[in-house]
Amino acid sequence: MRLNVDFTAKLKKFGAETTYECFNCGNCTAICPLSTNEEQFPRKFIRYLQLGLESKIRSSVEPWLCYYCGECQQTCPRQANPGELMMSVRRYLTTVYDWTGLSKRLYTSTTWKFLSVGILFFATLFIVYLLHGPIVTDHTELETFAPAEIVHPAGYVFGTILAVILLGNVYRMHKFIMGDTKAPFSLYIQELGTLIKHFAIQARLRLCENKSLWLKHWLLMTGYTAAFILVQVDILTFWSLTNNPPPAWHPAKILWTYATVAMLYATTVAIIGRLKKEEPIHQYSHSTDWMFLILLWLTVFTGFLVRIFMQFDLPLPTYYAFAIHLAFTVPLLGLEVPFTKWSHLAYRPFALYFLNVKRRALEGE
Amino acid sequence: MVNDKIGVYVCHCGGNISDVVDVYKVVKAVQNFPNVAVAKEFMFMCSDQGQQMIEDDIKELGLNGVVVASCSPHLHETTFRKVLARAGLNPFLFEHINIREHAAWAHKHDPEGATEKAIRLVRSGIAKVSKARALESIRIDMPPQILIIGAGIAGIRSALDLAKLGIEVHLVEQLPFVGGRIAQGYGAYPSGKIGTELIDELVEELKKEKSNIHLYTNAEVVSIEGFIGNFEVEIQINPRYVVKECDKFDEAIEKCPIEVLDEFNYGMTKRKAIYYPYPNAYPELPAIDMNACNKCGECVNVCGDAIDLDQKPERKKIKASIITFATGFDPYEPKEGEYGYKQFDNVVTLPQFERLLALSNGKLEYKGKEIKDVAFIYCVGSREREGEHKYCSRYCCTATINAALAANQKFGVRTFHVYRDIRTYGKYETYYEEASKNGAVFLKFSPDEPPEITQSGDKLIVKVKDQLTFGEEIEIPVDMVVLSVGMVPRKTEVVSMLRVPYSMDGFLQEVHPKLRPVETAIGGVLIAGACQAPKDTVEATASASATAAKASTYLLRGYTELDPFIVEVDAEKCTGCGDCVEECMFGSIELKDVNGEKKAFVIEATCRGCGACAGICPEEAINLRGYTYDQLRAQIDAMLEEVEE
Repeated sequence: MRLNVDFTAKLKKFGAETTYECFNCGNCTAICPLSTNEEQFPRKFIRYLQLGLESKIRSSVEPWLCYYCGECQQTCPRQANPGELMMSVRRYLTTVYDWTGLSKRLYTSTTWKFLSVGILFFATLFIVYLLHGPIVTDHTELETFAPAEIVHPAGYVFGTILAVILLGNVYRMHKFIMGDTKAPFSLYIQELGTLIKHFAIQARLRLCENKSLWLKHWLLMTGYTAAFILVQVDILTFWSLTNNPPPAWHPAKILWTYATVAMLYATTVAIIGRLKKEEPIHQYSHSTDWMFLILLWLTVFTGFLVRIFMQFDLPLPTYYAFAIHLAFTVPLLGLEVPFTKWSHLAYRPFALYFLNVKRRALEGE
Repeated sequence: MVNDKIGVYVCHCGGNISDVVDVYKVVKAVQNFPNVAVAKEFMFMCSDQGQQMIEDDIKELGLNGVVVASCSPHLHETTFRKVLARAGLNPFLFEHINIREHAAWAHKHDPEGATEKAIRLVRSGIAKVSKARALESIRIDMPPQILIIGAGIAGIRSALDLAKLGIEVHLVEQLPFVGGRIAQGYGAYPSGKIGTELIDELVEELKKEKSNIHLYTNAEVVSIEGFIGNFEVEIQINPRYVVKECDKFDEAIEKCPIEVLDEFNYGMTKRKAIYYPYPNAYPELPAIDMNACNKCGECVNVCGDAIDLDQKPERKKIKASIITFATGFDPYEPKEGEYGYKQFDNVVTLPQFERLLALSNGKLEYKGKEIKDVAFIYCVGSREREGEHKYCSRYCCTATINAALAANQKFGVRTFHVYRDIRTYGKYETYYEEASKNGAVFLKFSPDEPPEITQSGDKLIVKVKDQLTFGEEIEIPVDMVVLSVGMVPRKTEVVSMLRVPYSMDGFLQEVHPKLRPVETAIGGVLIAGACQAPKDTVEATASASATAAKASTYLLRGYTELDPFIVEVDAEKCTGCGDCVEECMFGSIELKDVNGEKKAFVIEATCRGCGACAGICPEEAINLRGYTYDQLRAQIDAMLEEVEE
């Protein structure tokens, strides 16, 4: 295996700044509540980073088994930040899995980040400007402004594109992780439970000493899922994109309130955390971490404004807020889900899924 | 002659002895033994009261011998000898018997047996003292003059320290210039000063001490005779062929048509037959290498009579009370093919790499190729499992990292460290930290699977099974491999002239690493610097200053006293067979003609009192003072005598 420190240097852009602080003592692996005899980290991966063993890293599943509890960070005698190094490996892997090449540019270039967010933001506004319906100003008629027969199909087309790209990336991840191991199809069926469970509850994050990490993450995740479902079923329920908003006791409205509060709380806490840098998980922020949090916060907040303005029957503010809400939603989903940070919603459960399949396939041989 | 009034004193040692040995029974069993005047027991014989009791008895009873049965003589032999001296009795009419370690502690579970053994031991002591003779320490004059062999950093340091005390120093260096290995080094740690800068500073001091330091360069020791306080040394000063100052040495060097490999730079550059090793070298006169010179006379045309191509070697006799060896070390020379040494062009040793750093400007180049990535292989020629060099040279870890840091900072070189174990001990731990922060990559190998070097295109590939990863075989492509070689001892002839003992490793051996760290078993012979063991510059100069301090304790007092336990020859019994001369490892016995007969004579100053000659003498003509045949036989007889119940 060829040592390649150019690779190590390259990983600096992904946040691997402290690689050579490490003197390989292994305290991080010893303290890690998630590392096991079979899947050891972080020490092993820091070593791979130090030597620049690119192929080892590309085919590894372990980085996705690390949930950045930060205990390693607190016990490292050399302040080598093992947790952050693992995080930077995940950022790198995200670019490896992505077949479009956009991910790599987003992670490594500030220009690309601003440009792509900006283009999607203004393009969305432009499309709204082109396609919006009549603007009723005597009272709020959101559906008249944004006709559901345009918004919903456009949303589904957009969602399908994102899903195709993300699943394409998951397929590539599968290839890297499985390597030469061939697993029978039945195993993929039998292990579906693993995939669903970890997608739904992120059980591994609860292994961290600090249980509040899981709670905050779970609030964010359920809030997002609730909002996602509500938006998807709106074509049937018409409670959201409507000229006649339902009353406050409406179940959908209660759920919506939960989603807004949960996401606003979790993202605000995360932003404050990253500014204060008290928790290990928030000490080191890559530019893509900020990009994700800011886009998400603005999306949730503008969605919240739409509801408020609707409630007080302020037509123009409602329409503007809605347009801006869309303009943030498109880059948030379009860039984060398939290409950068948010892709871990798929990579984490799929990693466990592929790991179990691979393990059982090897046992069966 | 028999000492017939012996006092015997048995100590309880607070119970250490008396809990097992019945001390009252011991007293009873020896008080009527021949020649015993008084026998007593006491709780702590070493206490003031105990000492006073013995002192009073000597004075009041007129004792002419004392036996104390107590702890180990290591602890209190000197204490009780002083008691005898205070009471006006010769301190060597004393025997210290150890009944604590030898009886009480060794036989805890057999008190009766322990008591019997104690009685026998005490009786043997009485018997020995009864035949003891008053002895006097041997006094040797020590005129304040010293010979220091080797003018490296240790030799110069020691010379300066002594010269400042007004002691006359003869400093002999075999090369034409001073400075030794340090001058060849690059940034020496700590301080980071270039080796030649360190030497320059010492040379400035050397110039100020010219009145007390006689420096002989290009000189070798031909013979050493004599002993502590009285060494007679002959040296040969080989011709330098440059005999006095000339303004145009630079021109003379330029005109010289001969070019040879420059050993100062390990053959990486060339020099002329008339040369300085480096610009500021001392003495300021260049030297001519007659092995290279063809006597064309070009330099003579420039400098005239400053150059004498027919200069002859000169011999000189020196007197010295003490001799200090500062003969230094050699860097380990790897075997051909060892990690690709001499097999591939770009495999060099650490000293060579340091010269390369010193000689490079702007970018690091070797044989016309720029060096960007360098692998260092540690423990080359050190810690060998088989072979001569089983020891750790210990300076190399720090020296290697120090050189790697310099290469990284000065030339942007990326460094890869392939090591067995690594320790930049003491204050230099920060070097390791700094190196790792600067991106130095460390890989650990097992001696079972040492790294392999191969060539691939214009790169060298170091293959190492890295124990810090998971035993993966890692290939490191580099432009140069540096072998971090250890220090190996120099076997110089001058050492064998004095029979200075070597340690297992082949370095010169001190008497005791803690208690007498710079003295050798040969009286008056001291060791400074890396001739003793691998040392870094700091340790070498520290030990050099230590030899100066040690030497000055003799030389400033003007005399020394030696233990009287040396051998003496009974000339009447001696047949001059010469067996003892052969046997003596210190060369302390010589045969002399006395009225046509050969007789053995002891050189008292160098005899170490080992007794080997006494043992070999077929005529019992040699006795070791304090351990004579008579004494030993009496001891044995007394020990075997029945102990009454």
